Amino acid sequence: MTDKQISDKLSLIYLASQNLMRRTFRTSALVLAIAIVSGAIFSTSTLMWGVNSSLKKGLSKFGADLLVVPKGSMISMKSALLTGEPSVFYMNRGLMQTISSVKGVRKVSPQLFLTSVEGDCCVIGNAFIIGFDPQSDFTVMPWLEDKLEGPLQIDDAIIGGLNTYNVGDKVFFYGQTLRVYGKLGRTGIGLYDNAIFINIEKAYSMAEESQNIKGVVPLKLVRGEISAALIQLEVGAKLPYISFTISKDPGVKVITAGNIITSVRQNLVTLFSSTIILSGVLIIANTLMIGAIFSTIINERKRELGLLRALGARKASIFRLILYEATLLTGLGGFLGVVFGIAIMRIYQRTIIFNLKALNMPYIWPSVDSIVFIALGSICVAILVGIAGTFYPALKGSKLHPYDAIRTGE
Amino acid sequence: MGNLIVIKDLWKVYDVGGQKIEALRSVNLEIEKGSFISIVGHSGSGKTTLLSIIGGLTEPTKGTVYIDNTDIWKLNDSNLSTVRNERFGFIFQFASLIPTLRTIDNVVLPVIFKKKGNRKEIYDYAEEILSAMGMSDKMNSFPSELSGGQQRRVAIARAFINKPSIIIADEPTGDLDAETESEVMDFFSDANEKDQITFLLVTHSLELAAMTDKIYKMKDGVFSE
Repeated sequence: MTDKQISDKLSLIYLASQNLMRRTFRTSALVLAIAIVSGAIFSTSTLMWGVNSSLKKGLSKFGADLLVVPKGSMISMKSALLTGEPSVFYMNRGLMQTISSVKGVRKVSPQLFLTSVEGDCCVIGNAFIIGFDPQSDFTVMPWLEDKLEGPLQIDDAIIGGLNTYNVGDKVFFYGQTLRVYGKLGRTGIGLYDNAIFINIEKAYSMAEESQNIKGVVPLKLVRGEISAALIQLEVGAKLPYISFTISKDPGVKVITAGNIITSVRQNLVTLFSSTIILSGVLIIANTLMIGAIFSTIINERKRELGLLRALGARKASIFRLILYEATLLTGLGGFLGVVFGIAIMRIYQRTIIFNLKALNMPYIWPSVDSIVFIALGSICVAILVGIAGTFYPALKGSKLHPYDAIRTGE
Repeated sequence: MGNLIVIKDLWKVYDVGGQKIEALRSVNLEIEKGSFISIVGHSGSGKTTLLSIIGGLTEPTKGTVYIDNTDIWKLNDSNLSTVRNERFGFIFQFASLIPTLRTIDNVVLPVIFKKKGNRKEIYDYAEEILSAMGMSDKMNSFPSELSGGQQRRVAIARAFINKPSIIIADEPTGDLDAETESEVMDFFSDANEKDQITFLLVTHSLELAAMTDKIYKMKDGVFSE
């Protein structure tokens, strides 16, 4: 770079950047303080965004508008749905008939939940086995990402996207050999990502045959029972009316997708409340700190500001110069905060996901576009902190009378 | 030749801890374009205050200052700033450089507040003035790398960058040795003669004042003779 090129950079922004370089320790400390704010906002927002979007994505794939479960099992159902935590609860299958007859109901499909226990033949750890009816199903088969040729057979199983089995593998439960017919795409909904789906008739017979196998805890006899009824409504159907009609049965509870999202959001806010409060406190504290420090800076540079005014700087130019300094400083802090945030989240990603799942929160990392959006948002918040903090000192600095500032400046 | 600067009944009263100090008391002055005048007087006589009011740096308590028939103290901030930027060149009595900028950038600094002008021409002109000031080998030095006299010469060069019609100089040669002082005064005289730049100098030095066309003496806020 030639000397002339260096000089050609001269502008208010260049002047602002040079001013920041004067006190490197002070500038570095401020950048670091802002980086902490930005990092906290970025990390919290990324986690909340991830939970929220995976939930929305999952539920949109889910395809059911309503879920009917036995009364008292709503919490277990949400847990099963969101994290794939094996749960068992049952109600009479006859309910399907009643639901089908409700005006506005398009499809009803049953699901039966079974849980294998550790030590069962050839199965390591708990497995969440779900019986479904391929004839009426509208929530499993549409999301097959990979499958074998030919139609689904009675001895076939479909595994969730997070399951380690591969298509074509054999799996064994309670003396039954099942062929992995297909694998679902990842949904972010624990139930679908972790479970093993089998024909509901096979599930009934498996439960019956488990009674005769020595050395294992038999499954509960469940023929004639189901765990949940999944309902798809007709276009334009009135959800509150249908929900109310079905809820007249005192033995059942109706769950909507909205219920689930609200419940997760409540958990999310509770979980992150301390981080949200901390971020808020950091924002306020940093705004005040930047305001105080910039007041000092302006006092230190009073004579210089007066000189700039004498050389022709308008009040607005001085105001802009100070805001540029704040913007550069907080923008850099914001950017570093995002970089730290990404680094920390990458290092602890397994722990983060494990802990979220333990709290019934599904999680898929947001897309690159979303992360860029959150990062830009965090940097913008950091810059806004700078602008808010320096607004009053900048206004005061811009109103200095040139001669008074020159005469009284240090 | 018409009057470039007309001052009528100019007052400046400072309020210092509740006490009114009259720095200027009904000053009247008319200065023609191309004049080279000096104002002398003791400290506190009001000469610097007068120059700062003429230069649009401090507001008078009462009175008017016309520059080319424009009452500058009736202009809004934007227009007054433009007048300061384009019509005036200021040389202050203290070292008035921006410490983070190189010599050449300090000279060009007033241009960033101006919306027009060709950058290359401006930098060429800055180099020309700095060379005339004997600073051609210090173009890329920072103020901390310059002596007091060198800093003063950079500040003088800066005052000329926008080709002003009026130079206001408060003790312009304060830090300079006799030889450099003489060179600077020759530079001023050349600019005054060739470009018809009007010079208003404040000085304690009667020797320096003697080099100007007209000397005004100030005492207690008024011209004494």
